[in-house]
Amino acid sequence: MWPVVNPRTKMTSVGIADTGVDVAMAVGKLAFLAVAVVAVVAVVACGGSTSSGPTTGSTITLGAPLGLTGSLTKESLLTQQGYNLWLDWINARGGILVNGVKHPVTIKYYDDTSNANQSAVLMQKLITEDKANFLVGPYGSAATATDAAIAEQNQIPMVEANGAAQSIFNQGYKYTFGVLSPANKYLQGVIDMAATLTPMPKTIFMLSADDNFSLEVANAIVSYAPTKGMTVFPLKKYKNGSTNLSAEVQAAKAANADIVLNSGHLQEAIAINKAAKEQKLNAKIFAYSVGPSTPDFISALSADANYVYDGSQWTPQVKYTPAFYLTVAQYVAAYKAKYPTEGDPDYHVAESTAACLALQRAIENAGSLDAKKVRDALASLDVTTFFGQIKFDSRGINIYKPMVVEQIQSGVHHTVFPDTVADAKPQYPTPSWDQR
Amino acid sequence: MADFVQLVILGLLAGGVYVAVGVGFGLVWGVLNIVNLAHGALVIVGGYITWQLFTSLHLDPFLTLPVDAVALFVLGYVLQRGVINRIIRAPLLFTFLLTFGLNLVIVNVLLLVFGSDFRSVTPSYSGQGLELGSVVIPYVRLMSLFAAILLAAALALVLNRTRIGLAIGAIASDRDAAQLVGIDLRHAYAVTFGLGAACAGVAGGLIAMIQAITPSAGEPYTLQAFVVVILGGLGRVSATVVGGLAFGLVEVFAQSIPGSGSVFANAIAFGLMVLVLVTRPQGLMGRLH
Amino acid sequence: MIAQGLRDRRWRRIFLIVGVVVAAYALLAPLTSLDFAQSANVPLLADRLWFRLATYIAMFIVMATAWNIIGGITGYAAFGNVAFFGIGAYTTGMLIAKAKWPFLAALPFAPVVSALFAALVGLPLLRLRGHYFAVASLGVGVAVGELVQNIDYGGQPLFGGASGLFLPIFSIDNRGLFFFYLMVAAAAVAIFATRWVLRSRFGYGLIAIRENEEAAAVIGVNTTSYKVAAFALAAALTGLAGGIFSQWNVFINQDNAFPIEYNVQMILMALLGGTGTVFGPAAGAVLLQLLIQFLGGSLPISVDIPFVSTAARPIVAQVILGLLLVAVVIFVPRGVIDFFGGRSRLSLSYLRRSLRETSL
Repeated sequence: MWPVVNPRTKMTSVGIADTGVDVAMAVGKLAFLAVAVVAVVAVVACGGSTSSGPTTGSTITLGAPLGLTGSLTKESLLTQQGYNLWLDWINARGGILVNGVKHPVTIKYYDDTSNANQSAVLMQKLITEDKANFLVGPYGSAATATDAAIAEQNQIPMVEANGAAQSIFNQGYKYTFGVLSPANKYLQGVIDMAATLTPMPKTIFMLSADDNFSLEVANAIVSYAPTKGMTVFPLKKYKNGSTNLSAEVQAAKAANADIVLNSGHLQEAIAINKAAKEQKLNAKIFAYSVGPSTPDFISALSADANYVYDGSQWTPQVKYTPAFYLTVAQYVAAYKAKYPTEGDPDYHVAESTAACLALQRAIENAGSLDAKKVRDALASLDVTTFFGQIKFDSRGINIYKPMVVEQIQSGVHHTVFPDTVADAKPQYPTPSWDQR
Repeated sequence: MADFVQLVILGLLAGGVYVAVGVGFGLVWGVLNIVNLAHGALVIVGGYITWQLFTSLHLDPFLTLPVDAVALFVLGYVLQRGVINRIIRAPLLFTFLLTFGLNLVIVNVLLLVFGSDFRSVTPSYSGQGLELGSVVIPYVRLMSLFAAILLAAALALVLNRTRIGLAIGAIASDRDAAQLVGIDLRHAYAVTFGLGAACAGVAGGLIAMIQAITPSAGEPYTLQAFVVVILGGLGRVSATVVGGLAFGLVEVFAQSIPGSGSVFANAIAFGLMVLVLVTRPQGLMGRLH
Repeated sequence: MIAQGLRDRRWRRIFLIVGVVVAAYALLAPLTSLDFAQSANVPLLADRLWFRLATYIAMFIVMATAWNIIGGITGYAAFGNVAFFGIGAYTTGMLIAKAKWPFLAALPFAPVVSALFAALVGLPLLRLRGHYFAVASLGVGVAVGELVQNIDYGGQPLFGGASGLFLPIFSIDNRGLFFFYLMVAAAAVAIFATRWVLRSRFGYGLIAIRENEEAAAVIGVNTTSYKVAAFALAAALTGLAGGIFSQWNVFINQDNAFPIEYNVQMILMALLGGTGTVFGPAAGAVLLQLLIQFLGGSLPISVDIPFVSTAARPIVAQVILGLLLVAVVIFVPRGVIDFFGGRSRLSLSYLRRSLRETSL
């Protein structure tokens, strides 16, 4: 509890943390020290005169390895945007309030080059070298699984927002928490929605990439859809990252199913949609787990993106009454102000912000920066934010927040299900390709 | 039956892209003895050029292909003349190191310039196609196949009918003899690599139309180029065409195996390649030399 | 000439001394983090980051040194050695996660299974020469990972499938220290194996194969069994590293047990250090990994790149890494061991000679 304004705080306020001790810094260390001493004197002097309001405590360091280069760059940058939005907000308010003391926050990022093994090295650096108090998650299920083991061995809480595979949470780890709905929920909303439509679709063709997240999504549909009176053709797996999916689309066409579902990633979603048009695969519903919610999907496919559904963790149209932080509308506005060229925030951004919110509220509830106490506070957390309810089951994953269904209508994302949050009716059935 | 015909057509159409990717890789490998790990990155450079011309100038993507070829030829020529020529007499594996480094540079410069967004070229006629009964032939893919065959033919023409092409052929069979008869090796090498890069650029233009590209999207294509070139047989353009089409067919039929056959597409393709190599090291169409 | 020789010897001696000092520090520094060292007020030189980094580097030393046996000494450019790493990792992983074996009982099976697999695929593959062997072995590397991830048995994934394998966290005091010394031991085994190979009849046979396979056969080398044995030895060492990795990392799946980029990296390391030598690959592994980690900002020392925004920094770091590789290949084509190791000196004329030897 050293009452000093951390020299890094200024850098943090633009949302970017320095990644190391540079040479200039090493050379100018003495000068730095002098500045720090002056700062201490200034703060102490000010603290003496302005006794009202909370004092400023030590800086809380959070850390995350992200794929800032390599194959997961896009998704990692969305994650980083979500973290930084919250960071700006909390530091504008002076920091996290713990027992009447405001602690400014800094987030350290490292580039893991989209490599899970490198993510583990950096996680260890964050913990031991940078003395990160708490961790926020990397992007992707593989890196999250590796990092969860590190967090567990070091007993530092990690709140993650981008690894939905339940296998991570079935290991009995005590220090990993996921704010997002687990993989098995991703496309169930689409099935629920389909059951309300007339004429009700009866058959489903399910495509899935062969990574753990996508397969959990797909297998959940295979067991869930029959309970809603729908039949599912045998699951068709393809290689994660495939760009040529014409034979898969051909199989879906041969099956002539009412619903075509894909559980994969943005790249495959675009490939499937392109092939569907080329090969005249017509279905009443096209729904993809990941992809359509990003602006890239619409810009890559232009008008062909219309009518596509996706299961989404969050949309800008949801209606939740937050206990703290911003409302949904304020959040969207804050995002657009900070990232004016990016359009609406997609759910990767929102869930990443939500991870920070969960951590913030847990620290406040714990009234301490002690890792164990914050972990316990996370385990008993129950709070509603702009992202929805955040509450963890005994495994540490948030099974309480519902997923919503989005549809792209005339080039714009609309929330179409459940009715309580919808801002548009589903355009159903999807017209055949030659009638668009 | 119609389904089978459709799959054959889809396989051949998919093969078009592999032909385009493979011919340049095979040329550089066969003549210069360079395994170019940066080939996929060069492909994606071509893809971004097409995307940029399409979005800012609204050029038809097929019309941008010559631009890709010229731009990448220049890039390739400069790379070979300025950098790769310097280690051309070092052992083969050193070209690995060098092109791996070049790959890192190109991919990350693309990331700096274009960002990590997924880009795709979707012209107005994208997705439309010929319908013959229940069999569909999408225009974009059909034209891509034509463009790839045309590219291979043009390359074969350059290699067999032009002065520089014959010089390249001479180098491929005997470097020292070629030098003795007065061929400017530095120039000929640079032209060869430039031609390979130009083919990669055209392939990238085609790829931008049929999938979404990111700076790192080229890596799988480097891997597939290996298979395509080996399947056909190193050293002849026509063999690479056969290899590319065969790879497309193998991929599509592996994908259409009921159940989870498609996840083994790579294993099947590479397994087939190993089989070809062990039983017929010169490739399906290759000659031993 | 004599002066030159003296100077060379002096360089070699300095190099040796520096190497010994660095190695001693690397091996002993971690001990200062032990509880009794801390209570005795020994200054702290190491922490958990150091363990992880050093263990990671040692892992690459094993892989690069193992690759050197088949790629550098025998001259067969194996491009799919990551398959052996993955097989080793999955062998231990399966025995621990599914059969509930203790780690140390499961570990010896990693090199054995890897070597058996290598012997099996080596018999047909090693009939191929040059590029063809490289590509075929790459195919094996890709295919094995895909099969491990996707093979089902009775509707259930046989090897943990896409979810991968989660191993119980190994319960031992000073876990980081344990895995560090285990991996260093593996690296030592790899280096001693190389040393033994280079001084044995076996090694002369392998070198004969590299220089001229037909001639080697004529002088009575059983080329097939020699090649297969070298391949299996490389696989066993790589598999050993994989086996340790699986328990150290706790979680394995296709992504981290069969990463294609390791294929390239281990070759890069061997080439950087100098192929065919005992310590070259190890030196290359240390150098390349330190370079990667340095540019990635995970070392305690890092340099700011001027005129580059923080957002672009990691990307520019990758560009610099690429450019450095290019520069090293062009100027030091015989590997850094040759560069620093005495046979020649760091000088302009050395660089010029290197350039002249390899360029057109």
